[in-house]
Amino acid sequence: MRSLNKKLYRDIKFNKSQFITIFLMIFLGVFVFSGIHSYMDGMRISGENYYEENNFEDLFLVGENFTKEDLENIKKIENIKDAERKFTIVTTLLDHDDVTLETNFIESNHISKFYIVEGEAFSREKDGVWIDSYLAKNLGLTVGEKITFQYKNYEMTKKILGLITVPDHVYAIKSENEIFPTHQDYGFVYLSIDQFPKNFIFDELRSKNALLRNLENQEIESLISDFHIEDYYIFNSVMIDVDDVSKLEDTKEDIESNISSAIAVTDRNSNISYNSYNSEVEEGDTYSSVFTLLFLFIAVLSVVTTMNRFVRGQRTQIGTLKALGIKRNKIILHYISYGFYISLVASILGVVLGNFTLGQFFLNMEMTYFEVPIYSTKLLPIVYVLAIGVVLVVTLVTYLSCKKILKEPASLALRVEVPKVKSTNFDITTKEIFKKLSLSSRWNLRDITRNKGRTLMAIVGIVGCTMLIVCAFGLLDSMNSYLDWEFEKLSNFRYKLSLNENYTEEEFELLKQKYGDQTSKTYGIEIKTGGNKETNVLTINDALNKLRYTDHNKEYMELSDDGIYITEKLSKTLGLTVGDEITWHIFGDDNWYTSKIVGLNRDPQNQQLNATRKFYESLGLNYRADCIYTDEDLSDVEILDGVDTIQSINNLKEGMEGMLDTMKSMVVLLIVVSAILGFVIIYNLGILSFSEKNYQFATLKVLGFKNQYIKKIFVKQNIWITILAIAIGLPLGFLMTDYIFKSALSDSYDFNANIKLISYVYSIIGTFVVSFIVNKILSGKIKTIDMVTSLKGNE
Amino acid sequence: MEKIVELKKVSKVYTTGEKEFKAIDNIDLSINKGEFVVILGPSGAGKSTLLNLIGGMDTPTKGSIKIDGEDISKYDENKLSDYRAENIGFIFQFYNILPTLTVLENVDVVKDIVKDPIDSFEAIKDVGLSKHINKFPNQLSGGEQQRVSIARAIAKNPKLLLCDEPTGALDSKTGVEVLKLLKKQCDRNDGSNTVIIVTHNSLFADIADTVIRVKNGKIESVEKNSSPKKIDEVKW
Repeated sequence: MRSLNKKLYRDIKFNKSQFITIFLMIFLGVFVFSGIHSYMDGMRISGENYYEENNFEDLFLVGENFTKEDLENIKKIENIKDAERKFTIVTTLLDHDDVTLETNFIESNHISKFYIVEGEAFSREKDGVWIDSYLAKNLGLTVGEKITFQYKNYEMTKKILGLITVPDHVYAIKSENEIFPTHQDYGFVYLSIDQFPKNFIFDELRSKNALLRNLENQEIESLISDFHIEDYYIFNSVMIDVDDVSKLEDTKEDIESNISSAIAVTDRNSNISYNSYNSEVEEGDTYSSVFTLLFLFIAVLSVVTTMNRFVRGQRTQIGTLKALGIKRNKIILHYISYGFYISLVASILGVVLGNFTLGQFFLNMEMTYFEVPIYSTKLLPIVYVLAIGVVLVVTLVTYLSCKKILKEPASLALRVEVPKVKSTNFDITTKEIFKKLSLSSRWNLRDITRNKGRTLMAIVGIVGCTMLIVCAFGLLDSMNSYLDWEFEKLSNFRYKLSLNENYTEEEFELLKQKYGDQTSKTYGIEIKTGGNKETNVLTINDALNKLRYTDHNKEYMELSDDGIYITEKLSKTLGLTVGDEITWHIFGDDNWYTSKIVGLNRDPQNQQLNATRKFYESLGLNYRADCIYTDEDLSDVEILDGVDTIQSINNLKEGMEGMLDTMKSMVVLLIVVSAILGFVIIYNLGILSFSEKNYQFATLKVLGFKNQYIKKIFVKQNIWITILAIAIGLPLGFLMTDYIFKSALSDSYDFNANIKLISYVYSIIGTFVVSFIVNKILSGKIKTIDMVTSLKGNE
Repeated sequence: MEKIVELKKVSKVYTTGEKEFKAIDNIDLSINKGEFVVILGPSGAGKSTLLNLIGGMDTPTKGSIKIDGEDISKYDENKLSDYRAENIGFIFQFYNILPTLTVLENVDVVKDIVKDPIDSFEAIKDVGLSKHINKFPNQLSGGEQQRVSIARAIAKNPKLLLCDEPTGALDSKTGVEVLKLLKKQCDRNDGSNTVIIVTHNSLFADIADTVIRVKNGKIESVEKNSSPKKIDEVKW
């Protein structure tokens, strides 16, 4: 049917703004859907592949020291394929400003294998260091260069042999106060265990054995019979690779009962790096499904309504084609072509461009935080299925609208459709109060009630647009409010000194003299809940002025010395409340304690247990601090005796703010896309209602009404709809943001949406600006209405 | 007699691509106040274009159009709106009333633009629709809808009532009723109102004071009817 193809082409040409908006709506909907999904799925799959290919450890043992015999015994346990020991300490990188290195000494590298970005592979014999490639990049360090780092009094100067990433360091942060790593002041390095400072070992021997105290290293070597320095190496962790992951729990139990050196046995889920990466993906999944489905829903709804109205507008033409004797199927095929081709092209473009632009952009941004060396966006079948679904829905709706008209006899279809109206008696707009309204108000009211579908679509569209804008601003506000909470309210200090595990009393006294006595100690603990044991953390707070607590309403609260405090979110997870008892023990100490919960506190990012020093000591336990909090200025201090890391709250905050800046660009992008979608929807509504009212406006013009007056009538309705939609959109936007924060964030976070008034104002202004521009463009069209043609068209 | 319409050398040319089409070709025409005028001609002759030019819905390519002594051919859009509002009542074949307004509201519309409108109730009573005052257009028959459009035109109390095939969509009985109403409009304001009807139905010639025949964009003839028939005397 050549002539029908011509008609198709011409109809699209003559209704081009309508079809362009249809195209744009589908494109934007699919674009955002594909972009965000390809980024989330890409992130998840890239991570999984990395873990698989680089053999990320299945189990992780922590202890004081694992001997050679321990290692052999571990390897003998059923289901264990391989095991490797590791010694991890914290060192300070010299000649750089406040850079801390997690320093690992290993014997071999088959579990959690390096990904070599540049340089050579690991070998025990090599004398040099493999460094975190992200940190190296930020510090401008290259292969071949030498770096010096210090542990206690022992300095190590090593040549960089390789820039690497390692699967158990996908996510690494300097302090638990941080959420996103900056890769500027913290990173990891690996060395062969043979490069561990020998002096340290000999000094340890001297300090433990009075006989050796005044001897030189060589003298000690010759004094101890059959001396092998390797026998004195320390390994404080073991990484394990298992054969069958489904038997992991049994293997864990076997290790717990057979390997006494293992203080804690944890699997991947307790690994902060693994867990954080997965939570990010999960958060993204909730976020993306809420956001993108809403987006797509709004877009498809608008398109479907528009297509339906377009086909109905072609009613007499359908009647004519039928009267001419053209077969039903040909007519249907002709009409579904409109929806089909446009949605097909828009969907394909949306999928492809969404993946390559939006998806890639977001993924690149994530990967500045997470160290996954090889990553790419991934389009899973769901994206294609949804894109095809969109095409099918649009086509189906076009088909149904066309079929409905074809059902009528040609003679009927040839006539202009008479709108169904209820009798005047039921139309409340003809009743008393409405009589007082201006004519244009009554006219608009009735126009709205007679075009419920179109109005509803417009409301949903603008509601969606407002929601997206509120949500985008809300994400930013809520993050800012979290920063205030964490850094202004809870952390009332300038520096946090993390003490070395083996600090001496003298060192501690000296530190207290200089920096005050505000200290805390954090223990890894196990809690018994029902039949289950759960790993958690207990902080003993002896720094009540520095490390503060907030209650449900984020107001300050004091800790009493009568029992344990748990965070509100944890209390909900565990099903415990004030007055209940909790049974716990510290890792490495087999005594279980049962304590009363005396209060709930709220913390944005650590869901754990807290108690005062007095309470802790009342259990007969000995308090040994592991942190000192101070307001002294430590910006010029790099190393302190007995201190592992010196953490500046300001640096932390700046790091977080830097992260927020990146988030801002994501948010701006979302706002822009939302605004475009909103614009297209409102414009589409405008064109629809404009073309449907064209002849009424022409009539008013003929009667002598000025363009200005007609514009007022036209704009009035759009403004009503916009106001109503904004009123609905603002609270829904809040709920959506809250939902994202509550359900998308992992259990360790306790934020809720916290949207500032000004953000609502921005959202209102934003929506109105979009609506205003559309009105301006459309009301300009009133001037161009040609009375003669429009009135003829009605005939 | 005083002239209400005076056209001098008026042309209306439509250009589509490189082709020109002269809808009205160098016409001179004048119409007296208080007359019931019928413009007759086959379709495509230029009758509707002529009516639109007089009504200020369209502007001429050349020539001048004086209405009641005022040259409207040079008016801008704003002034044309005022001109239409104050002077012209239009009646169309397909009524062109606003579907979302009731009968009364459709007539009331003109209150917003006319300085001295006739009371809406009276206009509606005049066309015999008092019973249907609160109904919506689609609750009315075609003839009734056309009466709404006449009531709306009457309410403006226009000097000139321009009707384009006003009975074209109606059966002959209803058509007669409508014509009577239009004729009655001539008698308002001491008989100074003018009604111009465009039609291809030559029977209208018998009831007109003046019959203007149009063909190919030109005036073929202007006939004065010294004794026009009463509407009921014509066999429709």
